[in-house]
Amino acid sequence: MKQRTPWTATLVAALALTAAGCGSASGPGNSSGGSSDKLVVWDWKSGDAKAAGYVQKAKADFAKKHPGVNVEFVAQPFDQYYTLLGAAIQSGKGPDVILFNGGGQIRDRADALAPLDSYVADDKQRLAGWDAFTKDGKIFAEPVTLQGHPIYYNKDLYQKAGLNPDAPARTWDDFVKNCGAVTQKTGAKCFSLGNKEGIGIQFWLSALGSAVLTPQEYDDWIAGKRNWSSPDVKKIFELWKQAGDSGLNTDGANSTAMFNDAFAAFNSGKAANIIGLMSDVGHWKDFAEFLTPEKVGVMQAPLVNPAAKPSLAYDGGIGYAVAKWTKDPKVASDLVRSLTSTDALKAFYLDGGAIASDTTIDTAEGGPAVKTIVSAVKTGKPALHVALSSKTIDLMGRLSQQLLSGSITVDEVLQQLAASDKTG
Amino acid sequence: MTAHSLSSVDPVTAGSTGGIAAPRPAAPPARRNRRGSRAERLAPLVLLAPAVLIIVGLRLWPLVLGINFSFTGDGDRDGMMVGFDNYLTLLGDPLFRTALRNVGLLVLLLPVAVAIPGLLATFIFLKVPGHRVYRGVYFFPAVLSPVIVGAIFNLLLAFDGPLNALLGGLGIGPVDWLGDPDVAIFAVVGVHVWATFGMALVVFLAGFATLDSSLLDAAKVDGASLPQTIWHVIVPSLSRTIQFVFVTTMIGMLTSMFGLVYVMTSGGPEGSTYLPEYYVWIQQGQMNQPALASAASTALFLIMLVVGLAQIGILRRAGKED
Repeated sequence: MKQRTPWTATLVAALALTAAGCGSASGPGNSSGGSSDKLVVWDWKSGDAKAAGYVQKAKADFAKKHPGVNVEFVAQPFDQYYTLLGAAIQSGKGPDVILFNGGGQIRDRADALAPLDSYVADDKQRLAGWDAFTKDGKIFAEPVTLQGHPIYYNKDLYQKAGLNPDAPARTWDDFVKNCGAVTQKTGAKCFSLGNKEGIGIQFWLSALGSAVLTPQEYDDWIAGKRNWSSPDVKKIFELWKQAGDSGLNTDGANSTAMFNDAFAAFNSGKAANIIGLMSDVGHWKDFAEFLTPEKVGVMQAPLVNPAAKPSLAYDGGIGYAVAKWTKDPKVASDLVRSLTSTDALKAFYLDGGAIASDTTIDTAEGGPAVKTIVSAVKTGKPALHVALSSKTIDLMGRLSQQLLSGSITVDEVLQQLAASDKTG
Repeated sequence: MTAHSLSSVDPVTAGSTGGIAAPRPAAPPARRNRRGSRAERLAPLVLLAPAVLIIVGLRLWPLVLGINFSFTGDGDRDGMMVGFDNYLTLLGDPLFRTALRNVGLLVLLLPVAVAIPGLLATFIFLKVPGHRVYRGVYFFPAVLSPVIVGAIFNLLLAFDGPLNALLGGLGIGPVDWLGDPDVAIFAVVGVHVWATFGMALVVFLAGFATLDSSLLDAAKVDGASLPQTIWHVIVPSLSRTIQFVFVTTMIGMLTSMFGLVYVMTSGGPEGSTYLPEYYVWIQQGQMNQPALASAASTALFLIMLVVGLAQIGILRRAGKED
């Protein structure tokens, strides 16, 4: 026991030293990443067999521009991606080109990235979805895919219920009425919902927002002027609660994972509708194993507020950015441009089914869902939840679970969200 | 090992500072053996250096860096000293308070987690029919990774899963095991106990091996019932084993439930299954607040230190009783 004294003393000394404070552990972050003849790319896509063709096309395109520069793709596991990236950013060195999700994930880390405005001007017209990669007017990444929240529906179930599968409801009341018919005839629920991670509410907010908020309210929200006490905003959360209370959702939503249990329930016909995604997972091509493309429809958000103008909610989904510590930002941004070349993106669309950011790609063979989505991109607007900080989104997830379990009121939810949104 | 090594350095340092306040060269009386004594003095240091360097370089120094980092800011204040701001944020964060409350709950559930393997080991020791099979079966989950265990129980405990189907057959309404904030934490802890009690069971069985069988025979002769035998003979003889299992189970509960929480509930529903570890991970990886995460891990470290020291104290006192 006497032997432990030096230990304890060391520990106390260490703590004292720390409390006194002697600089940051993160350091100034000035060291550089890869050498100039080698570029390191971090992503969570290149290991996927569906992305092999895409990576190959992009590499070939880049090799034409810079034959002497090696490109190394390092596929990280997505679960750990931002944890690993955070460590790299803290140490001020790491990959030269980095894949990001649009919105909060890239904006929170924009300090570590080089603005690309001067390099990507030629691509501005060809690609869509820039907003999600823009902070304070500066572009930090080129969009690869578009990510958004179409409402998919199972045409088979609609047909079985005696409804016209090619004319989905235009208003919320009709939509709920149709759901009642589907449930009565087929036993399938209205929405397949997975809210275990709190993702369900994000999809809900963004898919239905344009059918509830007036265009002015919508644009204000995106611009950062969010009025959490407006009756229309409140309506979105009330509908969420009502859908839960009136049994529109699949059972046990709070313990069902959106990926992939909720999508599996939609696939297997347990629910007639699902708010899904456009790219990566949970989209039309993902359903194809059980629901062939012609059986999957996409409907416009059913109108709740007559003053609203429903539109597709989408943003840039994923995009490549350039780290600020890279030796030659010009070369790195050329790689980013290769990664978003039309040929590469076309391969990504064909192999993975993602809706690519390149609006010139021909998607005619994709089936009715893709056709509806692509035609809606032109009039689409940024998704509401993407404008929120990751902290507010996390809180919203937990509050949405409380709304479903009935342990909180809509007013309390709005109050807490408003407070969180204010502090960012 | 370090405790031992540091203590053996003591005489050396005492020797060099304890004498007359002389500069580097050794004091006159030692002149004859100077070369020999210097080598003797240096040898332990040289021999210890690798171990000490590894511990200081790979353990203590990162620990100090981490603690130091917890006093800096995130985002715009990256690298700036912010004093105890992060710790105040932690105290004000209902999620972190939930995480701490859950730690308290784990401590309260500890006796249950120890009693289960203890009782089962007793049955095996008393050679209930089929005890050999049970020994293997009970240990089996201990070799599964938490991710696999979590995935299995995700299926079993799903709202439309087999357990609820069984309950439905008995006329009991379905329970949302992982979706009800009042139930979920117990479900996760229950699964954790299920997955890990095999290890404690083995320790108990080892303890039983040292049990004096004449005591048991004497109890049998005296006509003691099974509960009486357990309470008056087995439990007192195994007190050290029980304490050891208490310590290891506690450490297991506090440090290795991340996998289960991650797979089974993702901290939900409503944040009710947050544990400090999970909080650290979320703040660092999802919220991009490494300094706040650092503060949370320092807090977790302090909790572990207190719990660990308390338990070592208990163990030592038990050792004295022997």
